[in-house]
Amino acid sequence: MMKNIFETIFFTEILQGLGITLKHMFMKPVTYKYPFEATPIQDRFRGVQYIKTTADGRTKCVGCYLCQKVCPSECIHIETDCGPNGERLIRKYELDLSRCIYCGYCEEVCPVDAIHMGWEWNTVAPTRDNYVINMKTLSQNYKDNVEGNWKNKHLKKKLVEGVQQ
Amino acid sequence: MVTVKINGKEVQVPKNTLILEAAKEAGVSIPTLCHDSRLNPFGACRVCLVEQVGNPKLQAACTTPVTDGMEIITQSDKLSRVRKTAIELLLINHPLDCPVCDKGGECTLQDLTYEVGVTKVRFDAKPNDTPVDHTNPFIERDIDRCVLCGRCVRICDEVVNIQAISFLNRGTDTIIGTSFEQPWNCEYCGQCISVCPVGSLNNRIYLFKNRPWNLDRVQSVCGLCSCGCTVDIDYEGSEVFRIKENPEEGINHGYMCAKGRFGFEFINSIQRETAAQVKAGGEAKKVSFDEAVTVAVEKLKKVKETAGADSVAVVVSPRLTNEEAFLAAKLAKDVIGTQNIFSTETSEILPGATLEEVEQSDCVAVLNIDVTEANPILGLAVRHAARMGEAPLAVFYPSFTALKRVAKKFVTGTPDAVREAMVKYADAVAGASNEYSELAGKLTSAERPVVVFDPYNKADAALAQKISKACAKVKLVPAKSKNNSVGIVDMGCGAKCPTEFSKGLEAGKFKAVLVFGENVSARSVWTKAASKLSGLELLLVTDPFMSETAAQANVYIPVATFAEKDGSFTNLEGRVQTIAKAVDKGVNTDACVASAIAKGMGSALPADVTAVRSMIEKEVALYSGIDWNGGTVSYPYVFAGDIAAEDGMAKGKGKFFLYTASLRLHSGSFTRWSPDLAKVYGSPVLEIGEEDAKELGLANGDKVKVSGEGFSGEYPVEIDKKVTKGCVALPEDFTATAGIFCNGKCVKADIVK
Repeated sequence: MMKNIFETIFFTEILQGLGITLKHMFMKPVTYKYPFEATPIQDRFRGVQYIKTTADGRTKCVGCYLCQKVCPSECIHIETDCGPNGERLIRKYELDLSRCIYCGYCEEVCPVDAIHMGWEWNTVAPTRDNYVINMKTLSQNYKDNVEGNWKNKHLKKKLVEGVQQ
Repeated sequence: MVTVKINGKEVQVPKNTLILEAAKEAGVSIPTLCHDSRLNPFGACRVCLVEQVGNPKLQAACTTPVTDGMEIITQSDKLSRVRKTAIELLLINHPLDCPVCDKGGECTLQDLTYEVGVTKVRFDAKPNDTPVDHTNPFIERDIDRCVLCGRCVRICDEVVNIQAISFLNRGTDTIIGTSFEQPWNCEYCGQCISVCPVGSLNNRIYLFKNRPWNLDRVQSVCGLCSCGCTVDIDYEGSEVFRIKENPEEGINHGYMCAKGRFGFEFINSIQRETAAQVKAGGEAKKVSFDEAVTVAVEKLKKVKETAGADSVAVVVSPRLTNEEAFLAAKLAKDVIGTQNIFSTETSEILPGATLEEVEQSDCVAVLNIDVTEANPILGLAVRHAARMGEAPLAVFYPSFTALKRVAKKFVTGTPDAVREAMVKYADAVAGASNEYSELAGKLTSAERPVVVFDPYNKADAALAQKISKACAKVKLVPAKSKNNSVGIVDMGCGAKCPTEFSKGLEAGKFKAVLVFGENVSARSVWTKAASKLSGLELLLVTDPFMSETAAQANVYIPVATFAEKDGSFTNLEGRVQTIAKAVDKGVNTDACVASAIAKGMGSALPADVTAVRSMIEKEVALYSGIDWNGGTVSYPYVFAGDIAAEDGMAKGKGKFFLYTASLRLHSGSFTRWSPDLAKVYGSPVLEIGEEDAKELGLANGDKVKVSGEGFSGEYPVEIDKKVTKGCVALPEDFTATAGIFCNGKCVKADIVK
């Protein structure tokens, strides 16, 4: 009872709180000033996919349909055909980013190490038109990911740092 | 019967049953790779090894017959170790390119690898990198993936009897190939693809187009020739990706021909019409289905009022289902009120035997028909009888056919010489004594003799009739041409002689003609009168494609092919089989057209299959209580009456005999629109013997002028050593050649380079 009266009169709890605030004023901040600053991206982060290309620029994808089969949100659509020399030819490879749930199953199932989850996360656009990306974009994404050529130029530094962690 | 114990379970099986079959009886499944129940036991893969109690050696279940009191164990630690090793050994040379292999997802080796749990091969993998063989237009061959199970070699030998491929070299160098590495000299039937357990032999039409897990499957009946093969249609969305065999079902034991397996692409053809067309003042205009029907009905009503119902004719194609043919006949008879229903088929000759009876026959005669080309599955049945059953086979044909290998006696020569030989043979069966008496004696002394003949050649039919009269036990197989040649006749579309239609057209009797699916211009009986079609008040043509006849139509309605509709076909045995709808291409069926016209004329006809079937069961006596899924119609007769005797000799004047060649890989109308079949045989080619070609100084591909009484034309030449000297052959079912054979199946002609 006596203690309560003492605390009420001398505002000890408030002083305690102010003490914590004062302590944090001199600590390193844990938040980031998005959109002026980006959060670091971890190595195992799953962003927009890319498809690897070989040294001469051809896609590593062989069109086996496994990613299409495994995709839980059915966002991958493939069409293949027989090429002029009897090789397997990918007529169409489409990935609908507005459907993708970034689960990474496509990366896991790929038998030829072609599709990977990238680190680019910025897919915001004013229209839905560009959400369906094709093989050309996916191959370009590979180049961009390797070169650290991110969509938002001012965030470039932090992203690269994150990836390299 | 012997008693065997399999995994502790006792079963009673007949003597000489294989362990594998006995296990199946006991409900035990044994993994197999090289085994096929349709082929002789081989025992190449050693995957089916089982333990026999009391025997230290393991037994191959697919080659070992059971003995009384045998005790078999199919699951043990030792066996799973052995099986795993067997698979590992198979995988040594097998490239692990499952992602790009077309078989991935339906591969027996892949399944077995998962089943026995091989995750790593202990041996050094040394896959070869031999180039893939693309010399065959339909079959891709990658010998690296081959596991040497020998199924393709065996089916090509035992069933197809072409022996195009065999094992080459020995030991680890063994490969499957042709003699001297030549391109495949085969019928392109694709039986080898159907049995290949790995991706060594692939269907080039389906190659890399899709994956098996994406495809939906529906069981249907092939809609090309009249064998009535049960097939699986694999489709995704509105596209048919492949037509596959179904070994478990149907009368064809899972065998198919090149047409059925590779010729389905017309279904997906971009040349198909999607909109109805109405011609007004010489100009075609695209209209909706309802508008086209309205125009047709208006014109039909006008013709009926002014010229009477008898001036209307209905032509029905043997491509139609039973239900559609019934509706077309009903439309003509009940709604329009005309008896003028025509088709290329007549009710003069009806089916007489089943394919099984042909297979089980102990003496077969084939009269003047290349049955392996015209009706390939019937051809396989004839081969089965002659080879597996060792029935003496007599074949009469102007040139050697694929049956030569199994025939006891093959009579060739000029068509007239063959005709004379056949007459003598028929006489000999009837009791006359001549050089064919011995051959005929085999037929008369056999228990289950079969005669295969061409029902469209009246002279042949007359001979077949003579033989059956002399020897009552002879079963007759009229080799009908189209998928529902038999069924449309049953539905009442074959009562009139086809020539009446051309006579009526030429006499100007018909003012309105409704053509359901038929290409009148390309049929030899009608082609001469086809030019009269364009002057009609109304020519309604329904066809999936803009055929030569459809181009003349003033009302054209695109319709569905066999993969896009429900219904039933009756095959050359008289077996009624249900077809199922696989895809929807956004066009109506012939049933819808008939029903819509009937509605416009003020009566009601159902388009629904079930409703039409109940009408058929009521109105067609032969089909009352029929099983629509494989029931056989019992026909009252094979020949309606005495076939008018024709001498069948070549008509006209000329140096060469010109006879109808069986269309290679074609059945004439639909398959012309399949690009891959057209690659092999796209336009009519004149077949000529080596000697004649030398005399005329011809080389392959040279154009020659063929002329005879009432026809002339220019065709490229193909030199075929099988063609007899003094003879040439042309296919019948092309518009360019239809006019030649309107007077008979064999004519005389002159050839000028």
